[in-house]
Amino acid sequence: MTPPLLELENLGVRFGGLQALDAIELAVQPGEIFGLLGPNGAGKTTLFNLISGITPPSRGRVLWRGSEITNLDPSRINRLGIARTFQNLRLFHSLNCRDNVLVGLHRQARLPWAAALLGTAAGRRRQQTLRDQAQHLLELLEIGSLAHQPAAALSYGDRRRLEIARALASGPELLLLDEPAAGMNPSEKEALRLLIRRLQSQFKLTVLIIEHHVPLMLSLCDRLAVLNFGKRIALGTPEAVRQDPQVIEAYLGVGGVV
Amino acid sequence: MGAAFHDASLLQQMLIGALLGLSVYLPLSCGQLSLATPGFYAIGGTTAALLSTRVPALGGGDPTYPLSSVMLEMAVAALVSGLLALGIGKLVLRLRGIYLAIATIALVEILRVTTLNQEALGGAVGIFGIPQPFNNPGGYAAFTLVVLALICWLFARLEDNRTGRAMAAIRDDELAAACQGIDTAQTKLLAFVFSALVAAITGVISAHFFNSWNARLGNFDASITTRAFVVFGGSRTWLGPVVGGLLLTALPELLRPVGDLRLIVFGLVILVGPLLAPQGLVTPERLQGLGRSLQGLRRAPGGGEPTEALDPGPR
Ligand SMILES: Nc1ncnc2c1ncn2[C@@H]1O[C@H](COP(=O)(O)OP(=O)(O)OP(=O)(O)O)[C@@H](O)[C@H]1O
Ligand SMILES: [Mg+2]
Repeated sequence: MTPPLLELENLGVRFGGLQALDAIELAVQPGEIFGLLGPNGAGKTTLFNLISGITPPSRGRVLWRGSEITNLDPSRINRLGIARTFQNLRLFHSLNCRDNVLVGLHRQARLPWAAALLGTAAGRRRQQTLRDQAQHLLELLEIGSLAHQPAAALSYGDRRRLEIARALASGPELLLLDEPAAGMNPSEKEALRLLIRRLQSQFKLTVLIIEHHVPLMLSLCDRLAVLNFGKRIALGTPEAVRQDPQVIEAYLGVGGVV
Repeated sequence: MGAAFHDASLLQQMLIGALLGLSVYLPLSCGQLSLATPGFYAIGGTTAALLSTRVPALGGGDPTYPLSSVMLEMAVAALVSGLLALGIGKLVLRLRGIYLAIATIALVEILRVTTLNQEALGGAVGIFGIPQPFNNPGGYAAFTLVVLALICWLFARLEDNRTGRAMAAIRDDELAAACQGIDTAQTKLLAFVFSALVAAITGVISAHFFNSWNARLGNFDASITTRAFVVFGGSRTWLGPVVGGLLLTALPELLRPVGDLRLIVFGLVILVGPLLAPQGLVTPERLQGLGRSLQGLRRAPGGGEPTEALDPGPR
């Protein structure tokens, strides 16, 4: 068996009196699409914040390819190969779509000082290559025609796509998607499912995805974990998770099963 | 003669306003509400005043003070304020919003009070008889224009590449920028140090132009006035603070005919400007619109001149 790409060991997060995450154990294998399910407030976004270095854990460790990354800051973690989108959309509002993606290309965009300052021919060619790369990513996400629109002017669904394009630009191995289908209609959701699969194989990604739409998750994910009140209550294949009595109870409530 | 003398002198002050606007703009363009510019401006002025009056080797006794000595003063002032900005920036840039503003105002005050109480730095009286590299305001204005053009060019290059984009991203959403792999602390520090360098260089020019220097020239009032340059001109492209600095420096002079009313009018402009144009006078969108209409003109027969400088679009 290949060693896991990402491992969470006995992770706990407390916010004051609230145990948002409790003793979470998880191992994500390279190349898999791994889903996180759970009711509102279960701690899913908190788990993403923890992996991406935004929220420090109160307990436990995060391992990336076997080495500890627990208290690294977000920019270091991104540079190691972990990129994310945000549930509540955090685009760069005053920049247009292409520039949003160009910010994602930050790490690749390094130029020799002289070329950057003097605007030499080589420097300009490099800038053009970067712009082309950004445009290409926008086209992959099917928002290529919006390149010069300010991010603030996009529809909700397009903003979610732009978030994904921007995250991909930083060249991640692991992509964290926080409710990418929120606010989309059923046909858009289906299109997104196909898109995620395509991106996953094209960029050889490992994907960790949070989404409330259970049928979408069951058909998209290789494996799923279910959180409830900060605890992992189930883990396994879509088939196994669907039939798990604890999951049924969490979703339908105690006594909800007729 | 008198009018021309006055015009060149006003122009010189406007150019200094533009330079100070650029200095304030830089931290602001990555969302840092720093008001430290007058402090570093004062360091520049004091450095120039001290070196040119106390170091005979620089040529203070010559009929015209050598420009090379002015450059040397600039280098020393830039070094001193750059190092100070590096040290202070590491500490204060952890603060956000209004807290950073307060910390930087405190810095300006500390520098002012220190100068005021140190006879060696000019004390309460200041330093007089600063030697003149130019014998008329026109010479100063021409020199300052070259310096301004050079700095504008650097700013334009900066905004065109990754560091400029990173700064804009930090202004919009610092956390999201960090999640894209941007070293936000380093980028903010870079902006703060660059801002200090521009202010210090401007201080050197001012000291010679004013012929004397004292602690009052870099005070809290200057923090607010220079901040107004950027609010008024716009903080999303380097052209904003340049336009703001030029216009707002000229305005009180142009309003001189209306007497005491001018302060009221000046206040109104500063108040109403941001209300009418919250993003400032110059925004990338407006520049693009202007570029397009000028291109239209150029294509039309007998149209205007090509205006490369105003075209912010991809080339
Ligand atoms: N920074 C914070 N400070 C205090 N409490 C927090 C913080 N972030 C999250 N919480 C709390 O932690 C719990 C888990 O929140 P989280 O956002 O992780 O849930 P979620 O599973 O993503 O829910 P949703 O499906 O609604 O997005 C919630 O009760 C939330 O109010
Ligand atoms: Mg959430």
